[in-house]
Amino acid sequence: MSIFIQALISGILIGGVYALIGIGLTIIFGVMRIINFAHGDILMVGMYITFFLFTLAHVDPFVSILITGPLMFLFGAMLQKVVINRVLGALPQNQILLTIGLGLMMSNSVMLAFTSDYRILTTTYSSSSVKIGGISVSEPLVISFVITAIITAALYWFLLRTDTGQAIRATAQDREAARLMGINVARMSIIAFGLGSALAGSAGALIAPTYYIFPQVGSIFTLKAFVITVLGGMGSVIGATLGGVLIGVAESVGGVYFGAGWKDVIVFVIFLLVLLFKPSGLLGKSRT
Amino acid sequence: MKRFIVLAAAITLLLPGLGHAATKVKIGFVNSITGPEAPIGENLSNGVTLALEDLKKEGIDVDLIKEDDTGKPEKSMSAFEKLATRDNVTGIVGPYSSKCASALAKLAEKYKTPLIIPVASKDDITRQNLKWMFRLSATTNDYATILLDMATRLGKPKTMAIINENTDFGTSGAKSAKEYAAKKKIAIVAEEAYSPGSPDYRSTLASIKSKNPDLVFMVSYVADAILLMRQSREIGLTPQAFLGAGAGFATVQFAKEKDISNDVFSSTQWTPDVNWPGSKQFNERYKTQFGKEPTYHATTAYESMIIMAETAAKAKGDKTRTRDLLKRGKWNGVMGEVRFADYEGYTNQNHHQMLVEQIQNGTHETVWPPQYAPKKPVYPFPGWGK
Repeated sequence: MSIFIQALISGILIGGVYALIGIGLTIIFGVMRIINFAHGDILMVGMYITFFLFTLAHVDPFVSILITGPLMFLFGAMLQKVVINRVLGALPQNQILLTIGLGLMMSNSVMLAFTSDYRILTTTYSSSSVKIGGISVSEPLVISFVITAIITAALYWFLLRTDTGQAIRATAQDREAARLMGINVARMSIIAFGLGSALAGSAGALIAPTYYIFPQVGSIFTLKAFVITVLGGMGSVIGATLGGVLIGVAESVGGVYFGAGWKDVIVFVIFLLVLLFKPSGLLGKSRT
Repeated sequence: MKRFIVLAAAITLLLPGLGHAATKVKIGFVNSITGPEAPIGENLSNGVTLALEDLKKEGIDVDLIKEDDTGKPEKSMSAFEKLATRDNVTGIVGPYSSKCASALAKLAEKYKTPLIIPVASKDDITRQNLKWMFRLSATTNDYATILLDMATRLGKPKTMAIINENTDFGTSGAKSAKEYAAKKKIAIVAEEAYSPGSPDYRSTLASIKSKNPDLVFMVSYVADAILLMRQSREIGLTPQAFLGAGAGFATVQFAKEKDISNDVFSSTQWTPDVNWPGSKQFNERYKTQFGKEPTYHATTAYESMIIMAETAAKAKGDKTRTRDLLKRGKWNGVMGEVRFADYEGYTNQNHHQMLVEQIQNGTHETVWPPQYAPKKPVYPFPGWGK
């Protein structure tokens, strides 16, 4: 039983970070109807910024989100204004090719600049844990989960309560109608892409102290983010949160009862089942 | 006349390097230059760079054709085909990983081009009765054997858990550990094959902890080794000994993470302080030239390239002759004695002496077998943060 609880807790904690990655992707998709296949690579850039802030300027990885987040927002906004914007009305395959290409450019530029060496960020708390009744809970994971929760709450507030947030949601619901209502859709797209990138970058910063960093690390997370987003319902922020935690728990608990090698199988079986019985995702609304 | 030719051939064979004009040989080199295995691939590339310098001094001018397999078997296969046909090289050295090497072993046979595999250790590679492929390094079998031999000599382990990544190297390492443990009467209480790259192994490690094994045997590449040990510490897994099968556990980066890597054992093909000819010099030279510590991957690549180029030069670029000379030859260098022998079902396999090193205070120290080791092993594992 204690193993089950242990697995459940690790799963929820890691799922929180997955959720953050998924939310970023889902916002971008919601507003622009573009699947950002460079999402993992944006996360990777966030990891590198965190790494260098830590090694060169001694900024704690968790504190560095305050720098990484805004920086990645600007980076994402720039990407959307200069590149993505040009393919908004284009065929889906062109959009996919473009984002995949962007991702390749990012990972290969990073490889060129910093070599493909694995970098490990070691903080004082990288392998420390707190014991609660025989169950050990990873300290860095708890901190990152709390930060994830704060970011997600702030995001909900932003989307629900502020004018810009409402404009973003309006754009996501119906781009044309939003335009007719006088919403600056082009600007909303830039903000949405920036926001998505900032979330991915922050997730990178949160994972950095417990994971390892290398230029190709993004592909692992692009796939995860994609699964989470589709699982939760494309464009649904709550769905992505749920999807992230679900995937985290499925991996962790599945790893214990079926063996570590079966983790991915379990995740994708759940994924397929959801698609089979609820094709629009857990909380997705079917659109035409 | 015929007798004279035979005699002349015999003389050139016996006295290599007599003809002083630089001999030119064309050698191919397949390696993981980019991709996830690139950090280790870099060691192989550097080893080969040093080998080329030394060969030049010997009067052998190597025309090296490098191919990047990005760690993917299909890429290494097309690289091999290109080298064997279009470039028509005399011999090929590489590739790094076991999955690529398995793919190339059969191609060497098909294209009748000699291949020296420097370090890929999956057991089966040299068990297929293939005549054109030679392996310098020991096999994954030996990785497990030496560690368990040591553990049973130092303590009385009864149970063992195996954690391995589900790649060719990982599965093969786990399989041999399991077989050898059975011989040593050690019960396997847990077996976990994981797919590399997951950020969370905690649940797996927790279920292993609940079985309370005396030994934990791990087969992992670079980064996962650090992750597994970090999370073992978090979970509080404390066996008599952590045994790592080379790869990730043999890297400097791993050793530097003192908090989690201290007292971990790792089997390895080579260490800088082993008393084989030229080991210490190789280590120094490598450090000054590349500003990093070499791993055993570098020495295996170095030695493989030296052997391949010298043999190819002797054979005057003839592939069949190169193969025959490789089969008959004997060398003694940074990797100790090398001979490609047939034994216990292996073909063209160098019976390489494995070593065990332990991380003591952030550096790898050779601790086993005693006759090669300057330091004493710390056993059992003293516990975390001690």
